[in-house]
Amino acid sequence: MEVQKEIKEIKETKEIKEIKKHSKRSKQEAKTAYLCLIPAFIGLSVITYIPLIAVFIISFFKWKGASAPVFNGFDNYIRLFTTDPYFMDSMKVTVYFSIVTVIGSMIYSLAIAMLLNRRIPARGLFRVIFYLPYILPAAAVYIGWSWLYENNFGVFNYVLKSIGIKGIMFLNDSSAVVPSLALIAIWLTGNLIVIFLAGLQNVPRSYHEAAEIDGANSWQRFVNITLPCMSPIIFYNLIMSLIANMQIVTPALALTGGGPGNSSMFMTYLMYRYAFKSNQIGYACSISFVFFIIIAVFTVILFATSKSWIFYEEADN
Amino acid sequence: MKDKVTGHKSASSYQGRIMRERIGNGASFVILLVMAAAVMLPIWWIFRSSLMSNTELYAWPPAFFPGRWLFSNYTETLQVFKLWLYLANTMTIIVPSVIGGTITAVLSGYAFARLRFGGKRFIFSLCVGSMLLPTMVTLIPLYIMWTRGLGLSNTYWPLIIPYFCGGGAFNIFLIRQFICTIPRELDEAASIDGAGPLRILFSIIVPAIKPAMIVVGLLLFITIWNDLLQQTIYINRPEDFTIVIGLSMFRSGLKADWAKIMCATCLSFVPGLLIYMVGQKYFVEGIVMTGLKN
Repeated sequence: MEVQKEIKEIKETKEIKEIKKHSKRSKQEAKTAYLCLIPAFIGLSVITYIPLIAVFIISFFKWKGASAPVFNGFDNYIRLFTTDPYFMDSMKVTVYFSIVTVIGSMIYSLAIAMLLNRRIPARGLFRVIFYLPYILPAAAVYIGWSWLYENNFGVFNYVLKSIGIKGIMFLNDSSAVVPSLALIAIWLTGNLIVIFLAGLQNVPRSYHEAAEIDGANSWQRFVNITLPCMSPIIFYNLIMSLIANMQIVTPALALTGGGPGNSSMFMTYLMYRYAFKSNQIGYACSISFVFFIIIAVFTVILFATSKSWIFYEEADN
Repeated sequence: MKDKVTGHKSASSYQGRIMRERIGNGASFVILLVMAAAVMLPIWWIFRSSLMSNTELYAWPPAFFPGRWLFSNYTETLQVFKLWLYLANTMTIIVPSVIGGTITAVLSGYAFARLRFGGKRFIFSLCVGSMLLPTMVTLIPLYIMWTRGLGLSNTYWPLIIPYFCGGGAFNIFLIRQFICTIPRELDEAASIDGAGPLRILFSIIVPAIKPAMIVVGLLLFITIWNDLLQQTIYINRPEDFTIVIGLSMFRSGLKADWAKIMCATCLSFVPGLLIYMVGQKYFVEGIVMTGLKN
């Protein structure tokens, strides 16, 4: 009896020790986690979320360069939407560019990825080629392409003229400049191809075989198997490339300076001009904030509609 | 009798399928060949233009190959385009940023993947949110903070320090995903042997995630390499110029000397190409991983 009691006690203390040890370990774990997350936390607060709040606050001030900021309510926003000669064009141009580029690069990348997903020779080499533009510095790419787009001696106009089409003033024509820049941006999207390719390799082959036996042609298989299986990846690429392309600024900075007219006055470039060329800091912040709202609206719309078209496999947790 | 017929039929349809697949593959190959040529054309055209004289550049019709390969264009360009200075400046920004970004991304990714702590979901969702927040939005307050608040104008610090703060949400996820694929048993065995979480990170996790770390390093390299806007804002003096600023200044300075501009463009392609060749394998692997788990 005594012995049993003793054993029981020993067991209990052991258990308590075990629990204590465990909680000590989990405390240590939490401590390490906080330690590891210090840099990221500083990053998220000091260089991400606090500046976002700051943009919102500064946008209600008139703040010209060196002078002290003066509160002026909604004046900046009123000026943006009523008298600003650039802003409305800038919004249109930015959205136009993003939509053309996002749709173009999604179709281009998915098509190339599907071709690369077949059993063909030299796949590795093709993959390297299509991916290559992505790693070149964008500023250099835009400058290089500007020579290809040259009005009289560029290669594109040479090709157009030799097939009997009148030349286009790619970068000097206000209706051609956005599509021309979008083509470069599409050319630069090698990373989407690689992501799509990875997704395609995960579409079970048996689905296609089963459908083929049931007599589905390749278009039906694309619509009913490939697209649904790929929908999460399409969604991811769509959001990421939309956000990236809305922020387009490099071509305006390196090449067009927003012209001709306002036809490549992208919002980020306009913000840059107000903030750093004419020192209207408060006003530039109101552009930043409107820009943030536009992206947020697009993102919310995409997320809200995503449930209806994204197909998640049930096994997927 | 009946069986024989259906057997025959299915065999022929099987052969038909193989045939169709072969034709499809052949057509795909041809289309890819054409597309690859189209994709490479701009790069070839830039390169071929860099080797021509300006009179040849303005000839009609334009030649596909240079008449004489003027490699002397490059030596002439290098006398005006300070490639080595710009490269050294760019590396002064990139090397510490890449190292800092990779290390802090590993630390944060590890915490999210393996450790239990209060507020994990909250911090994680902050991280997710920051992925959807365009960096352009916060540009102005950060500029004011770095230059007026901390007096760091005309230094590279505003371009470097942010990379020591987690290296971007995307890279944290990449590391986290990679760590999640490592079996937990390894950590548990080590922790039974008395290793603390940090020991586990450095002795077990880090050696196992080297490919992911290389990918993060390469992605950071490209991001910084491409970031013309922030470099334009923080860098004012010609002796501090990076390659992309140097190139765009070079172009606006030399409006019509296209041969030299194309030389400078080609030269600024080279460092990225070299890095890509070295890391190509990891690069594709890493992109594949990041795309899959989202």
